Amino acid sequence: MVLVIGGSGSGKSLWAEGYVASFPGQKYYLATMHIYDEETRGRIERHRRQRSGKGFFTIEQPVDIRLAADKINLYQERTESCRHGKGVALLECIGSLAANEMFGGQEPAAEEAVVEKIVSGIASLKEELKNLVIVSNNVFEDGKVYDDTTMAYIRAMGWINERLAAMADQVVEVVAGIPVILKEEPGGNVPCTF
Amino acid sequence: MKLVIGGYAQGKLAFVLEHYGADRCRVWDGVLPKEADAGMEMVVIDHFHNWVKGCMLGGGCPEAEVGEFLKNFPDCVIISDEIGNGIVPVEAFERQYREQTGRILVELAGKAEEVVRVICGIGQKIK
Repeated sequence: MVLVIGGSGSGKSLWAEGYVASFPGQKYYLATMHIYDEETRGRIERHRRQRSGKGFFTIEQPVDIRLAADKINLYQERTESCRHGKGVALLECIGSLAANEMFGGQEPAAEEAVVEKIVSGIASLKEELKNLVIVSNNVFEDGKVYDDTTMAYIRAMGWINERLAAMADQVVEVVAGIPVILKEEPGGNVPCTF
Repeated sequence: MKLVIGGYAQGKLAFVLEHYGADRCRVWDGVLPKEADAGMEMVVIDHFHNWVKGCMLGGGCPEAEVGEFLKNFPDCVIISDEIGNGIVPVEAFERQYREQTGRILVELAGKAEEVVRVICGIGQKIK
């Protein structure tokens, strides 16, 4: 499992797509963004064009990320792609998944519940895959103190990133399109690079 | 002195307690202790940026006060949020706060024997 983090417009998606495309076997794109308006539609279109021709099968999973595993298994049975072993998936992105989980209902969901649901969902999803690459967002460094709900969302994102980083074999920060390795410990969990 | 920086909610304090030993540390939240207040444990200043903000709001000079603090506690750990990677705020004080905190952190990083950046709970030694 690989966690990829970066700021908006850092080139994290493009890097992650190229990285996943380099793996053999069936590739899945787990899309988490809801279409709300013209802006999200445009954003989704840009991402679709960006990854067209790279061999991804797209699964829409804006909430309940655990359920993506069933869809992957169904697709594998239908296409018999399981003959080539488990597939590789790109999950994009934690920011919109966490927002959908937290703000999808009448009232905002508790941050602990959001963290638990996403982390455990991803833990079971990754068992169905040869490799899972997850894109997340660096939303922590602007020094602003937002309203309580937004701060709870940012804290939930922080916890999710931290726990996924601990689970991941590799953590990569993309800066201006350049991958900076934060962790590279196959199978290990060393929270420190020195 | 060791400096630990990183974004909000990145696990900086947990990193410090794990890496430098929780039983050896005493954590001060947004406060710089006076010499007489501290015990034998290593002084860890958490949310240093909050202290800078409070000091500025109180009309103090954070640079001078930090200098004085470091004379008393040369072996401390200072933890601060990275606050400068966003849009420059409209409010004059908020701009000044980011600018001044950034300059102080640059100064501290220059003096520090070790600087660690924490992201996703992972510490990267950058000095």
